[in-house]
Amino acid sequence: MRPALLVFGYALAVAWLAPPLLARLTARGISARLGLAAWLTAMASAVASAIAALQFLIQAAITGWPNLAEAVCRSVTGSACAPTVYKSAAFEVGLAAAALLGTLTAAVLSWRYGRSVQRARRRTRAHAELARIAGRSLPGEVSGAMSGPLSGALSGAGSAMVLDAEQPVAYCVPGRPAAIVLSSGALAVLDPAQLTAVLAHERAHLAGRHHLLTGLTRALSACFPAVPLFTRGAEEVARLAEMRADDAAVRRSGRPTLIAALLAMGTGTAVPAAALGMPAAALGAATCAVASRVQRLLDPPDRGLLVRYGLALAGVTLLLVLASVILAGYAAPLATHALALL
Amino acid sequence: MRGFGDLEQVIMQRVWDHDRPVTVRELFDELARERAIAYTTVMTTMDNLHRKGWLDREKEGKAYRYTATASQAEYSARLMQEALADGGNTEAVLSHFVARMDGAESEALRAVVARLTERRPR
Repeated sequence: MRPALLVFGYALAVAWLAPPLLARLTARGISARLGLAAWLTAMASAVASAIAALQFLIQAAITGWPNLAEAVCRSVTGSACAPTVYKSAAFEVGLAAAALLGTLTAAVLSWRYGRSVQRARRRTRAHAELARIAGRSLPGEVSGAMSGPLSGALSGAGSAMVLDAEQPVAYCVPGRPAAIVLSSGALAVLDPAQLTAVLAHERAHLAGRHHLLTGLTRALSACFPAVPLFTRGAEEVARLAEMRADDAAVRRSGRPTLIAALLAMGTGTAVPAAALGMPAAALGAATCAVASRVQRLLDPPDRGLLVRYGLALAGVTLLLVLASVILAGYAAPLATHALALL
Repeated sequence: MRGFGDLEQVIMQRVWDHDRPVTVRELFDELARERAIAYTTVMTTMDNLHRKGWLDREKEGKAYRYTATASQAEYSARLMQEALADGGNTEAVLSHFVARMDGAESEALRAVVARLTERRPR
């Protein structure tokens, strides 16, 4: 019983205490990759610990089974029953009930989780196929002749499709094959260089398989709407994945072009990159997701800050891994020891 | 010519452009003028599109005449609707370049643009 409580306590602590700490470390999107790793490690370690705790609980219930059986046997056959046997049996009944309930809960939750992931995957694939067949190929990509400013960004996974819609929209859909969808409204507000940046951003999502991370964490958040690590974690994973893709687009197109593309798509009006002044003291508090991405791009961290955040995030990640491994290693002998006592 | 998915898109585009029932032979003749392609490839692809619900067909003599089950605009509208739906957890996993914004947020972003594009005093 004790090892189960210990490990479950750890899972709860991570689920409630890790989010505020991690959120502070990843707020500015410095070293987005390590930030992603830290959030994902925290989630994995909480889930793994909860599963380990359940396993210990089941083990304890099995260990207690002979006691329970003995008490039942004696009372049925009418042979002498010491009060201690009954007292112990009451505890064992509770233990068995808890183990059963825990197992049932885990089964229901994992079934729901699997169904949620599966359904989203089906919808995603169907959407990709619809886009691939019903969209028009992006002009310049039709002939397959790769030349001009788009050539580099257009090679690689995910062909770009255009749909007729006024609203500026650009997104990627994973699938076999994947698709990048642009609305005609998006093409109207982006110049060729900005379009290249947008495509580089979406290709980075596809190449980095970000949909796996966002899909799995989103389903986790849906199954555990009251657990901060999973709800906050899903949001943060999605946000950090955007920043990873932004970084890839910056490498391809440069900051001013990406910033202009973000602003153009966000406001629905053309924003020439050349018209943007780049004040170092940026914009004050960011008011929406796009504004905070723009701010991050306007104010890139210096090397010292990168190293500090990198070390802190790597440290937290390592700590989470070590803590769960050590705890499970410490609890496992306790559980088997209890078994051996009988 | 690229992958198979590409051919499905090319053929649907042609069917929509025609705006009347077409036969495999008609589309094959058009496509063969532009690319090296086998008649059976066109036939198989159109058969697949029919099986997947993109094309309706009616027998006329020995051949089928194909029509699109819905217009391209209808498919576009359906895709946009799904793409802009509030990302429920069983919805398609799409990565938008910019997240959907409410009125106040886009207003704030417009202010950002104004701030960044204004001429700064030297």
